[in-house]
Amino acid sequence: MKAREFWLLFAPSLLVMGGLLVIPLVRTVQWSFESVHYGSPGSFVGLENFATALTDPRFGRAVLFTLAVTAATVVILLVLGYLIATAINRITRSRPIVLGIMLVSYVLPNLVGAVAFSWLFDDNFGGVINRMIEFFGGNQVLWFTDQVPNGILVIVNTVWHMLPFAMLIILAGLQGVPTELREAGIIDGARAVQSHLHIIIPTIRGVLGFVTLISIMDVLRMFDNLIALSPQAASIGNESIMLYVYSVAFADGAQRLGLGSAINVLTIILILTLLIPFIRGIFKEAKAAR
Amino acid sequence: MTYNDDLTTRAITIRDMPTTTRKPRLRKRPPAWVSALLALLCLLMLSPFIWMMLSVTKPTDVAFSNPPVLWGYQLTFTAFVDLWQTTYFADYLVNTLVVAVVSTLIALVIGIPAAYALSRFPSYISALLLVLALVFRALPRFAVALPMYDISRALGIYDTTFALAIALVAINQPFTIWLLRNFFAEIPRELDEAAMIDGCTRIGMLRRVMIPLMGPGILTAGIFVFLFAFQEYLTALVLTDTSSKTVPVFIATQLGQTLPMLQQAGAASMLLTIPVVAIAFIAQKYLVAGLSDGAVKG
Amino acid sequence: MSITKNRAFALTAAIAVGGLILTGCGAGGRTASKNATAVSCDYTAPDSATTVNVLAYNSSAVDPFTNTMVSSCTKGKVAVKHDPIDFGGQVTKTTATLSGSTGSYDIIETYSFVIPGLARDKKLRPLNDLFEKYADKYGLNDINKSMRAGMSYEGNLYALPMQAQMFVMAYRADVFDNLGIKVPTTFDEMIAAAKAIKAAGVMDYPIALPWLATSDIGTSFQAAMNSLDADFVSKDGTVTLDTPEAKQALQSMLSLKPYMDPQVTTFDQPKVQQQMFNGTAAMSIMFSGRMNDLTLTSNSKLSDSFKFAAPPKVNAAAKYSYDRLSIDGWSIPFNTKLDPDMLFVMMASAVSEDASKASIPAAYPARNGMVTADNSPYGKAATDSIASAMPPIASPVLASVTTEIRPILVQILAGNLTINDGAAQMQAVAQKIVG
Repeated sequence: MKAREFWLLFAPSLLVMGGLLVIPLVRTVQWSFESVHYGSPGSFVGLENFATALTDPRFGRAVLFTLAVTAATVVILLVLGYLIATAINRITRSRPIVLGIMLVSYVLPNLVGAVAFSWLFDDNFGGVINRMIEFFGGNQVLWFTDQVPNGILVIVNTVWHMLPFAMLIILAGLQGVPTELREAGIIDGARAVQSHLHIIIPTIRGVLGFVTLISIMDVLRMFDNLIALSPQAASIGNESIMLYVYSVAFADGAQRLGLGSAINVLTIILILTLLIPFIRGIFKEAKAAR
Repeated sequence: MTYNDDLTTRAITIRDMPTTTRKPRLRKRPPAWVSALLALLCLLMLSPFIWMMLSVTKPTDVAFSNPPVLWGYQLTFTAFVDLWQTTYFADYLVNTLVVAVVSTLIALVIGIPAAYALSRFPSYISALLLVLALVFRALPRFAVALPMYDISRALGIYDTTFALAIALVAINQPFTIWLLRNFFAEIPRELDEAAMIDGCTRIGMLRRVMIPLMGPGILTAGIFVFLFAFQEYLTALVLTDTSSKTVPVFIATQLGQTLPMLQQAGAASMLLTIPVVAIAFIAQKYLVAGLSDGAVKG
Repeated sequence: MSITKNRAFALTAAIAVGGLILTGCGAGGRTASKNATAVSCDYTAPDSATTVNVLAYNSSAVDPFTNTMVSSCTKGKVAVKHDPIDFGGQVTKTTATLSGSTGSYDIIETYSFVIPGLARDKKLRPLNDLFEKYADKYGLNDINKSMRAGMSYEGNLYALPMQAQMFVMAYRADVFDNLGIKVPTTFDEMIAAAKAIKAAGVMDYPIALPWLATSDIGTSFQAAMNSLDADFVSKDGTVTLDTPEAKQALQSMLSLKPYMDPQVTTFDQPKVQQQMFNGTAAMSIMFSGRMNDLTLTSNSKLSDSFKFAAPPKVNAAAKYSYDRLSIDGWSIPFNTKLDPDMLFVMMASAVSEDASKASIPAAYPARNGMVTADNSPYGKAATDSIASAMPPIASPVLASVTTEIRPILVQILAGNLTINDGAAQMQAVAQKIVG
């Protein structure tokens, strides 16, 4: 293909992405050095916004919470995703229906799912889970005001939302494992565990890496579900980075756009740092492949 | 890491073998406990919706009772009727659909040629694109949405379905191209050349040869972009107000409502759920293909 | 994967989506709301098609006025449009629409607490001229004078009063009667009642108050201070958040906590209603506009058991009750492009005599002598509440002070900060705003 043809075909897409992703991104970087309000030009303040963000304990707590939820979610997704994929890999006739049901929580708007989820835990909506805990003799759990139970609630909801995705990718990976190995995988008992740990998992480690990557990216951005699940996120220290940006730069007409942008820039740096190993892997692979 | 290449074949395998008709190579049936666990899992995954559906079809006075009323009540759909009749829910649903359809169409029209071009160009560009797509996908959404809000207000297109649709095209474009590129990459280049020798121009060839061949791939990408747009809350929250409000944004503003309207908010969630679930079931095969094929490779 | 299969799939998908669109169109626009009143709304219509966007939160007290405006003033080429929204949503949207040179809304619901701040920042259009012009036609002089004063700042009227809201206590008469408990008039009596109810095994947390950490909690703290004849700032504008009264107010609030649901800081007024509906609480104090919901049989099986009273005092020596008086009204944002005369006529017809009458008992209209003990189940409680409330201090800084001290207040009530330290922090934060 000639270069001219390439650019001709690529131009419309490039134009849209340049105009609607790159320009806003440049604006964010510019704002992060300014004191600025919507609709009016800002004034340069140097690194002041970054200093404010980095010295604000609320930002520290938001980063910590976000990273903690991300780490916990990713581990649970990998383990549960693998187990469920292995189980589904063994069923045949009912597989489409099981996959269809599993997909529901993934295709639904995260916020709507979180609202439905919160009703299970809220006494003012019947609190069916709380009634079960009570029935089995447990104590009252403060799902919405206690940091740890609320954190667990958020993690469980995130896992519930992303599990279908993780499971499907791992399932795709399992389909590619050679038959002889899969035969070994269905033998029950101690030998099966060995074969999973030493044969199947190493074979699909690339797929597991991919699930890790996407999960990290998506959980780091979490926002929607906290609206329903953590009504007082800031005061119990369960605020995500995105929720923090929202509350300083948009919610209730908040106008600290400079600070919000600085946090965005810091978040981008954080994400890129976490992505470096994956990016290097892709480049290496591209070099090796062609 | 070498997962890209072996997965190409794997992904094709899963995509081209409809699970319903495939003859199981492993004849051994799964033990009963596996089936039981999976059934339980399905129930758990659906439990929030089952609970919500129960709540919104109860009479208002027992809808959110504590302890919950589980039987002996009169099934009612008042919440759904009131939602249709006393709010602009129909408008929000139409807005949501228009945004989803328009952004899907635009995303495909500009994404298909771009993805094709990338699939036929040297690999270092592809690798670069892959990295860029990754980075753009990972971006904190507000880093793009807040400037979009400011710019759209300055341009006077704030709170229009068009602004939201085009914003979503851009946000989902890296994923669209990435998915489509992987489907194009499976079509041998020799085919292009044969068609071009027969006198097709590059664009004519794309239209007459590639796109028909790419049917399933395009459908898969389309379903994904449609679902992403249909799901979007954050961008819609920032870019819409009164005249282009979407259903997720509407639901979020109803969480602090009092009783009859709170039940309607639940009904709205259910009405949004049903079509998406229908799509998930109908398009299950394509979603699986998209997730495993496109996603894994990129 | 065969082509026929793809076609079949595409067809199914198209039917699924198409079916949705059809039902959507079939539903059409809004049907007239059940509680709208037909009133005259004679404005000079503009030549072109016009949409008037109204921002007003939904509650059974505000809805009758909003619905009347929407149904009576939508005619010809003019459509009055109101999107349902909760109170928190209204707060967010108000600041957002007033923040730029153009806004999304043309008429906004405001309340006395925010008027001074918005007026000082010139976010609302003064209404004096329009009030004079239409006073006779819509009988506006019958709107309570002190409520008009409550919606004024530096001599200018900024909102047309629609209704008053005051704290009212709702309680379970059946539970109180069974246990021989009298209606509490102080926090101590409330606690005693709660102890008795708990001891009888009726419920664990008999008291429910709207203490939502991101909103209502500030109002509750202010009500407690008002009971002690104090506020966040004094009349001359000095911050009074580290005074003995402030500390006493915090102490009194903390003393109620053991008798409230531990998650009370996630409760807005609808959630408190929910506690009453479900029988998980026996006493609650909310704005009067939330009371009528409790009396509706459609909302709860317990609707017959609720009775109403003026809110108690923080302690026996307190001058006033734990109370807030709020006036709801209609304002014209400074940045609307529509004809102010038309907008004012819409507002005036929504608060006209007929509309106001029809809003009882859900609301407590701003017109003189409308609510009596006979026409509203909580009419007497409301009148008693007004009589026992501290006259409000109007200061443009109150709204922003309330927002800024809220996180500290939450930490004090959660027990993470001592009263002394917390009061000192609130004082410091508020002084920074006042300057």
